[in-house]
Amino acid sequence: MLRAEGLTKRYRQGEVEITALDDFSYDFPPGVTAVVGPSGSGKTTLLNLLAGFDRPTAGTVELAGMRIDDLGEDERASVRLKNAGFVFQSWNLLPTLTALENVAFPLLLAGVARAERNRRARELLERVGLAGRADHRPNQLSGGEQQRVAIARALALEPAVLFADEPTGNLDSAAGAKVLDLLLEHAAGERRLVLVTHDLQVAARAARVLHLRDGRLVQVEDRG
Amino acid sequence: MELLVLVWRNLTARLTRSLFTWLGIAVATASMVLFLSFGEGLRQALAAEMGNMGPQIRVVAQGTDAFSPPLPELPPEMLGQIEALAPALGIQRIIPAVVMFRGGFDPATSFLFYGLPEGADPRDFYPPAKAAAGRIDPHPDGAVVGAKKAELNHLTLGKPLRLSREVTVPVVGVLEPAGSMVDSFIFVPMKTLQEVLGTKNYGVFLLQLDPTADVEEVARKLEAAIPGIDAQSTTEALKFAERALRIGDLIRFGISLVALVVGGLLVANTVMMSVYERTREFGVMRAIGARRRFIFGLVLSEALFLALAGGVAGVIAGVAGSALINTYTQQAVGLALSAVTPRLALFSMGVALVLGLVAGLLPARNASRIPVTEALGRI
Repeated sequence: MLRAEGLTKRYRQGEVEITALDDFSYDFPPGVTAVVGPSGSGKTTLLNLLAGFDRPTAGTVELAGMRIDDLGEDERASVRLKNAGFVFQSWNLLPTLTALENVAFPLLLAGVARAERNRRARELLERVGLAGRADHRPNQLSGGEQQRVAIARALALEPAVLFADEPTGNLDSAAGAKVLDLLLEHAAGERRLVLVTHDLQVAARAARVLHLRDGRLVQVEDRG
Repeated sequence: MELLVLVWRNLTARLTRSLFTWLGIAVATASMVLFLSFGEGLRQALAAEMGNMGPQIRVVAQGTDAFSPPLPELPPEMLGQIEALAPALGIQRIIPAVVMFRGGFDPATSFLFYGLPEGADPRDFYPPAKAAAGRIDPHPDGAVVGAKKAELNHLTLGKPLRLSREVTVPVVGVLEPAGSMVDSFIFVPMKTLQEVLGTKNYGVFLLQLDPTADVEEVARKLEAAIPGIDAQSTTEALKFAERALRIGDLIRFGISLVALVVGGLLVANTVMMSVYERTREFGVMRAIGARRRFIFGLVLSEALFLALAGGVAGVIAGVAGSALINTYTQQAVGLALSAVTPRLALFSMGVALVLGLVAGLLPARNASRIPVTEALGRI
């Protein structure tokens, strides 16, 4: 499960206090939920809080049945490792590792043995259509390929929730479409995909669309 | 892809920088190994030297340290005093001697003369001594030269050796190489040396004791009975030498520490730069679920790896350098003055590792504490 209750984040910038997210409450159902809004509307802040990258000023976040808003840094990292996968706009692969090693990295952190790690990583690369690129470093892959490696990495520990922040933002339309297809394909069943985007065409593929403006949830669009 | 592989990949990704840092540590460690190898070499040489002598005591004028040539300050009547005490103290033999040092800037122009009484010869200083040419006893009017001294100064049988304006003696014997300090000595009759120095005094009494005698006790009793003397036993001399060597070690360690600190700063700088450049990577790792300890360990391992690799290379370079130094000192004085003992190698490795650890701590701490949102630029 993924649920936010009264989620608020305030920053102090010099003398001024900025409310980046204001009293956000939502219980994310399984499937794809898109979060849209103009820049500065609080999309990134919301994702930071839902994923436990940051702690809220007020409110609670429940991820996989656990309150994470009052956990320490390392506890939140452990919860993320087991329950959440991430796909960022700029791929964020580890540059010194091969595609296979990047996909296997979360498995390494989880203490999975090397043989099993490599077997699972290969299988995941196959699922994203990159079996032949396993030994390539990120700088030897195209943007679309890198994003597919990132998706394979996000799926490595079969997380309950996938977070994607503008996953197609840096890709051309063909590569973007492929990446989006892959993401949606893996958001089936009980898994939740939170898709932050400002691209309404991307948002149109989601079952629900949350509209943010000035840090507030102003509309929930249920497309059934 | 274990932690070590990650460390290796990160270091090789910035190869030139890593190589220079590694080289810095290697040079620092090698310089420390070389500096300290002198102490170890001297220790070994001294232990070997002292080990060749029986239980004995060296009596010198008070205030003479164990390694300076004693001045002729012991009056002839003192010999009588010791002779009187000899039966009661278990002193079997008393060899009075006179020592003269003529120093130069290098081993070829430095001369250490031992004046021996009738009936004594170089074997009383170094029992395994043997004559390679001529005879072993300098009496009545010759000089017996150590192997290294003979080689350095081309002293062959029959050659005249000038001790002063008035006194010249012929070389009557050359000793076999002993790999010991005796290789650099010149033995002459005591009367000849006394004449050169213009004195009737002695510089040192060498006492050979009954094997059952307690060396330290005899030394104490002698000092109590005869004022103005130092009775130094072999073990005492070794202890004194050890103290002197320790002080030397500390000074040399202090000097080499400068190089080591510079090496440590190099590691800290390299690792700090690399942490700064990889902020985003650490953010990604933390976002995926890496704990702080993992990042801390990763960065610290990089520093330790650099220090370990540099330390190993430094010790190897130190061993090679020490061998080179020994080639020179063997030629010059017939002694291996530098030694890289296992304990020195281990100590140097330990220092290099501690250096890496200290240099890596701050960057590792910083890397592990970067907030995920900041590292990923998600503010």
